[in-house]
Amino acid sequence: MRNLLNFLVRYNNLIIFLFLEGIAFYLISTRNNYHNSRIVNSVRSITRGVEEKINNTKSYLSLHEINERLAAENVALKNNISKLVRKESSLFFSADDSTHRQQYLHTSAEVIENSINRQRNFFTINKGESQGIKVDMAVISANSVAGVIVGCSKDYSVAMSLLNPDFKLSARIKSNGYFGSLSWDGRDYRYAILSEIPQHVLVNVGDTIETTGYSAIFPEGVIVGTVSDYEKFGGDFYKISVLLMADFKKIHFVDVIGNMKKTEQLELEKLFK
Amino acid sequence: MINSIIRFGLIFILLILIQVLLLNNIQFSGYVNPYVYIMFILLLPIEIPSWLLLLLSFVTGLIIDFFTGSTGMHTSATVLAGFVRPYVLRIVSPKDGYESGSDPSMMIYGFRWFFFYALLMVLVHHTTLFYIEVFRFADFFRTMLRVLLSTMFSMTFILLIEFYRRGK
Repeated sequence: MRNLLNFLVRYNNLIIFLFLEGIAFYLISTRNNYHNSRIVNSVRSITRGVEEKINNTKSYLSLHEINERLAAENVALKNNISKLVRKESSLFFSADDSTHRQQYLHTSAEVIENSINRQRNFFTINKGESQGIKVDMAVISANSVAGVIVGCSKDYSVAMSLLNPDFKLSARIKSNGYFGSLSWDGRDYRYAILSEIPQHVLVNVGDTIETTGYSAIFPEGVIVGTVSDYEKFGGDFYKISVLLMADFKKIHFVDVIGNMKKTEQLELEKLFK
Repeated sequence: MINSIIRFGLIFILLILIQVLLLNNIQFSGYVNPYVYIMFILLLPIEIPSWLLLLLSFVTGLIIDFFTGSTGMHTSATVLAGFVRPYVLRIVSPKDGYESGSDPSMMIYGFRWFFFYALLMVLVHHTTLFYIEVFRFADFFRTMLRVLLSTMFSMTFILLIEFYRRGK
């Protein structure tokens, strides 16, 4: 007993150290992955007030740039509307059925917290459950892939950024339709890696990469980026480096897209799995 | 006693504010993240009891973790830094030892001493932090580059703050 007490007195610092490190590593082991974002969410709720203040200041400083981008987006949208109006006028549909063609719902949101320099990046947006945001909705920024919602509170949501190795996106080469899996390798925030493209496929630098829509999260044909480099990887596949179109360093306004027919698709697919 | 608690409380709050409001929002090329909050651990009195040092390291790391949304990373790196601080102090100890009751500051022990002391501590902290963040050895050399670049930037900020303190 005395020996034990002596031991404790002698090594009390080491014991405290190991105990505190133990807590820290326990926290790390519950790290915020795709399925375990609840901790991030609850921890963030404490600091969110501060973050929003910081963001307010930042957005004020970049108002000019934001205005320009919004104006450009407006023009593009107006162009789309004028195209649609012509198309719709040549179709019949019943007046009280407003959703019979609509598969995707868009809503805009503002990014209030974002990072690009970690290994697992998340960003927070200023809309949540009360605005209809749900987990697994797609987030796009200026028509290119930005992330996917992983957790919602009443007025905020946390999205897993494309800059997170846990985020695997089904993407294809637009010109020939071959699809593979796209994810970030944790290196440069401007590039992601598209894998599983077989080597007999013709790949060119500058080819557009877009989403496939197989996952029922992202609509088909959302642009991801362009091929910047490719090399043979193993015996069968290419490892394609994709220059991302979304600039995560200045991402500010995003669109959240909900797929209204997602449950239908998933339930049907479940029957055959 | 009360005086120094207030003083270190202020330093603590100031450093955390600098870190959270300023440096966490500077997103350099993705390679460089300066972390100056570690300076709080550097500045605590030389004769502080080890258990208190460890506890304060833990709390500092935890608060930074809250603000960056990273669970545990900063805590573990800062606790390790707090644990090795007595050994680092012994390594860089000046010829005629430390004066009793003094703070490890540039004012008392000079630039050269403070530089090496801060450098060793920042290296320990950043190395732990970045390798825990990556959590694999696949990108060993790239992570090392990140550690070195970030150490350079953190050291710049820490020395600037220390020069300012000395100037006062």
